[in-house]
Amino acid sequence: MTTAATGLQHTPSLLEVEDLAVEFSTYGGIVRAVRGVSFAVERGKTMAIVGESGCGKSVTVQAMMGLTPMPPGRITSGSARLNGVEVLGRNIINGKDIRGSQIGMIFQDPMTSLNPTMTIGDQIAEPLQVHRGYSHKRAFAEAIELLSITKIPEAAKRARQYPFEFSGGMLQRAMIAMAIACKPSILIADEPTTALDVTIQAQILDLLQDLQKETGMAIILITHDLGVVARMADDVAVMYAGKVVEQGGVDDIFYRSAHPYTLGLKLAMPTNDPSKQHKLNPIEGSPPDLFAPPIGCGYCPRCPYSMKICDVKDPDILPVGKKHESRCWLQHPQAITVPDELYCGEKA
Amino acid sequence: MMWFIGKRLVQGLITVWFIATATFFAMHNVPGDPLLNDRATTAIIRANLEAKYGLDKPVTTQYFIYLNNIAHGDFGISFAQENREVNDIIREHFPVSAILGILAVVIAAVGGILWGSLTALYRNRLPDYIIMFLVILGISVPSFVIAALSQLGIVTINSLLGRTFLPVAGWGTISHMLVPALVLGLTTMAYLTRLMRSSMLEIVNSDFVRTAKSKGVPPARIFARHQLRNAVLPVITVLGPSIAAITTGGFVVEIVFAIPGLGRFFVEAVQQLDYTVIMGTTVFYGAFLVFMVILVDVIYGFIDPRVRMN
Repeated sequence: MTTAATGLQHTPSLLEVEDLAVEFSTYGGIVRAVRGVSFAVERGKTMAIVGESGCGKSVTVQAMMGLTPMPPGRITSGSARLNGVEVLGRNIINGKDIRGSQIGMIFQDPMTSLNPTMTIGDQIAEPLQVHRGYSHKRAFAEAIELLSITKIPEAAKRARQYPFEFSGGMLQRAMIAMAIACKPSILIADEPTTALDVTIQAQILDLLQDLQKETGMAIILITHDLGVVARMADDVAVMYAGKVVEQGGVDDIFYRSAHPYTLGLKLAMPTNDPSKQHKLNPIEGSPPDLFAPPIGCGYCPRCPYSMKICDVKDPDILPVGKKHESRCWLQHPQAITVPDELYCGEKA
Repeated sequence: MMWFIGKRLVQGLITVWFIATATFFAMHNVPGDPLLNDRATTAIIRANLEAKYGLDKPVTTQYFIYLNNIAHGDFGISFAQENREVNDIIREHFPVSAILGILAVVIAAVGGILWGSLTALYRNRLPDYIIMFLVILGISVPSFVIAALSQLGIVTINSLLGRTFLPVAGWGTISHMLVPALVLGLTTMAYLTRLMRSSMLEIVNSDFVRTAKSKGVPPARIFARHQLRNAVLPVITVLGPSIAAITTGGFVVEIVFAIPGLGRFFVEAVQQLDYTVIMGTTVFYGAFLVFMVILVDVIYGFIDPRVRMN
């Protein structure tokens, strides 16, 4: 089977996720939340995972990090290799803990993601105590240092405060300080700016970019905001109904969108260009029910280009350009060419 | 923190004043006269009592005399028992009730937190089902039934062993205290177990526990440092009212186990219309409960920084 890693085999990536599938047992049946996801993250680069709510973005990374409760969750197939070593179902690789030490993680809502009865400093110090065996005193001093790295003023005083004394943006900075405490090679940011207002969003994104430049860590950025993607990402994976439908470099995704869903997302973005009309262009319909995933392409019922085959057979991953792939029958060499914005590079 | 404690103390004082006032006027509306019973009081004694409490004066004057007396810690002399000051009754019998009550509260709190955490960790598995069944039993069966059954149990054990393993009733040593305190605390423990269970289940799925996991913190440390402290907050909130429930429940348990606590005097005083004893013990009990509730609030403040700093 063709996977994302195929095109990248000669240069081994930092993190390679292959054919990952996750399902959840619920009262209503089994939800197949992630149905074979593959992507690769390069050293020092930012990989964005984009998609609407419920498409499996968060489940993918949380399953990888061992954060999905099992049961009801279950990883049914796939692998995730960090520097070539399998991480799924394991806590330690190469003598180091994975979580908190080799991979750091920040979450969507900083207001609830910190322990309300523990000082900020103690919470940042905790991974250092756990992974490096620092004394509380030494770890706390390092925590103050980390707070000033994340540009929190009066770090020494702030470290002794509790989460309720911080604003949302400050809390997210503290979360970042906590996640990078042990200098991980990957930082997973699960919708890091969704709960913050726009000016704070920009500051947090700037901070992430600065930290990436300084430390050379890779970032996996999960978001549904294409503006954030355009600003941050080097590579993009677009997810829909538990699958990656298109992936490639950020320019490929924005300027050579090769999947109707990517195109739909792009057209649905509001614009403030006065020459264009201001009416929003939503994607009609709703995502498929993952209790009973469709046999064919999940996007077929909403797709303006859908063909007969789309309904009965799920498309393979088809190459569009260098490191650019799309899971759409229109990219098949024998498919018709649509006279539209949809990019069909190789074939044309 | 000092400001917080000071504020709570002032509020507590107002509460005690309110209890004292309510008790005073309630007692004055009870029909009957303790000085007109079978053992006729001589005219001189009656005159002395009337002079001391201003019983021949208007109610408001009596009220202020009464307030002045309790402000000086003088709850007066019993009307029904000879040569007994209310203060003596409290001094002799309150420590017994207090030790029993506090022991019961400690057993209830520690047990509730322990069993509650355990059921949450073993959710929907055998230990959870067993404990939750016992919890329902503990909440539904009244304490005097459990008290009698536990006495029966002790007797059986003692006769099987052929010596006194645990005393069936009475007061004096630790072994006298254990079973009554357990019986007294049982209902509250059952209630707190349920509370702790639901609170812990909520915390287990909270965002900050997920954060702690993502930091790679080992499960035991997550439990001790992230889950327990946050899950215990609702339990501590209800601990104040629980103390009230336990102390009043104590009256029954004291009688079943023949413990010389204050409860018996409290009940007898009401039957005999012993004004000073009723008012004295009520106000004293009230003050004790208010103090315990303040203590709980202060403990809460230590555990939850949000309360301490607001």
